[in-house]
Amino acid sequence: MNGWHVPDDLRAAYLDGGLPEAAAMSVEVHVASCQGCQAAFPVQEEWLEESWAAIADVVDRPAPRPLTRGLTALGMPEHVAVFLAATPGLTRSWLLGVAGALGFAVAAAHAADRSMLVFLAVAPVLPLLGIAAAYGARVDALYEVASAAPISGGRVLLLRAMAVLVAALLVTGAATPALPAFTAAWLLPSLALTGAALALGPLLAPHRASALLAAGWLAAVPAGREAVFGAPAQAAYAMALIPFVYLGARRWNRL
Amino acid sequence: MEPTLTVRELTRRFGRRTALDRVSLEFGTGVTGLLGPNGAGKTTLIRILATTLAPDGGGVRAFGLDPADREQRRALRRRLGYLPQNPGVYAHFTAFELVEYVAILKEMNDRRARHDEVRRVLAEVDLGDRARTKVRRLSGGMRQRLALAQALLGDPDLIVLDEPTVGLDPEQRMRFRALLSRLGESRTVLLSTHQTEDVTTLCGRVVVLKAGSVVFEGGPGELAARAAGRVWLTTAPPAGTYWRTPDGRYRTLGDRPPEAVPGEPGVEDGYLLLLGAEGVPA
Repeated sequence: MNGWHVPDDLRAAYLDGGLPEAAAMSVEVHVASCQGCQAAFPVQEEWLEESWAAIADVVDRPAPRPLTRGLTALGMPEHVAVFLAATPGLTRSWLLGVAGALGFAVAAAHAADRSMLVFLAVAPVLPLLGIAAAYGARVDALYEVASAAPISGGRVLLLRAMAVLVAALLVTGAATPALPAFTAAWLLPSLALTGAALALGPLLAPHRASALLAAGWLAAVPAGREAVFGAPAQAAYAMALIPFVYLGARRWNRL
Repeated sequence: MEPTLTVRELTRRFGRRTALDRVSLEFGTGVTGLLGPNGAGKTTLIRILATTLAPDGGGVRAFGLDPADREQRRALRRRLGYLPQNPGVYAHFTAFELVEYVAILKEMNDRRARHDEVRRVLAEVDLGDRARTKVRRLSGGMRQRLALAQALLGDPDLIVLDEPTVGLDPEQRMRFRALLSRLGESRTVLLSTHQTEDVTTLCGRVVVLKAGSVVFEGGPGELAARAAGRVWLTTAPPAGTYWRTPDGRYRTLGDRPPEAVPGEPGVEDGYLLLLGAEGVPA
């Protein structure tokens, strides 16, 4: 040290933010190595503590899961993304199962003289399988712990079911171009069956509600493409969705 | 004792079996131990108090809140920490992620505050250095401590623990008791256990359940006093149930065997005599 210290007027100008950048940097370099000047500069303890805590948080916290990162990149609030990444129904095995079932259905559509009835029958059932695996004592290892939390029950089921539905719709949508001809007739039945599973879930448990609806749906499909996928049927699916969408929007906003 | 938690005429049946039969109790600040043999109704009572099971009859009030009402139940859950008998884990999560997930279920939405809280509870159970370890790589005792950590999130006023010392080694059990003892100074802590040692060292009050009914309620000293004059030490094996003591003598409960000298009664003696355990006269 050469015995020089930051003069009072220079320190005051620095603290006011009135120094040119080069002069401010010179002051900082000196203060960093001069204990006398460090003591003369006021320190905001609260700010310092907060800053260190913020740095510690970034250094300490584990890296977010890839799914969490993806969801936050899409604009989802971070806590909702962390929550959804824990959805049992969104695990790799379920997604692989969905892809496999759709692959089979696409192959069946090509083999059966451009009849896409198998694909149309299978696609709406896939979200139901995900919902069955999304929440409940049999499928969620943390079910008992989660049941005693403020956010539990129907709200957890709804949020997870939405995540499962979106994943199933994306995979099914991606499979559609592989069909012999374009069809979106599976979309509204998928949504309506999901809504019905959510409505029945609290009464029957999600896995029972999903099994019941899937069985009913697969029993109804042989009635014929027009009866199950025609315009009147599609209109009925759309009408059935309205109360589910309303209730869903209300609950979604509460997490 | 100012009651923070009141149970009135609580009844719960599973099919034809009555797990709880018109149980009435009051709990205040401090640690209360719930003792009883398997099937006595401990877990049923714990689950009802933790709001994960609804009773068939009677009611609960905690901090003036009635869990039968949906909104009040939610308000109560904000003040509740719960460790179930089989807490379960997501094995592919890290310790940090698992506790953070429960923190989100407890409405801790702010990331920084949530992370700080997760770190705090992990440090409380001595798992601060295991935050990044996958749960599948943790030992049984560590998993039990992890489950306890999630129960401490949000500094709850009511802490309900179902057999929390299972799987803990003696040193961990001692640390755990110190932690619960500290928590019990200002909170209502209820723990079910098979370990009478937990009760002796930790609990200011004991409730003993048998076949769905309360058969004892009082301090550990009172439970031990029930065995006064019924604990005996002999140099030869006596009739009935007995066990060897470290000094090579035989300890038995009940009527005085020939040439026996009186032994010091403990909580376990009082408990066994109360229940009329096999070979031990009630």
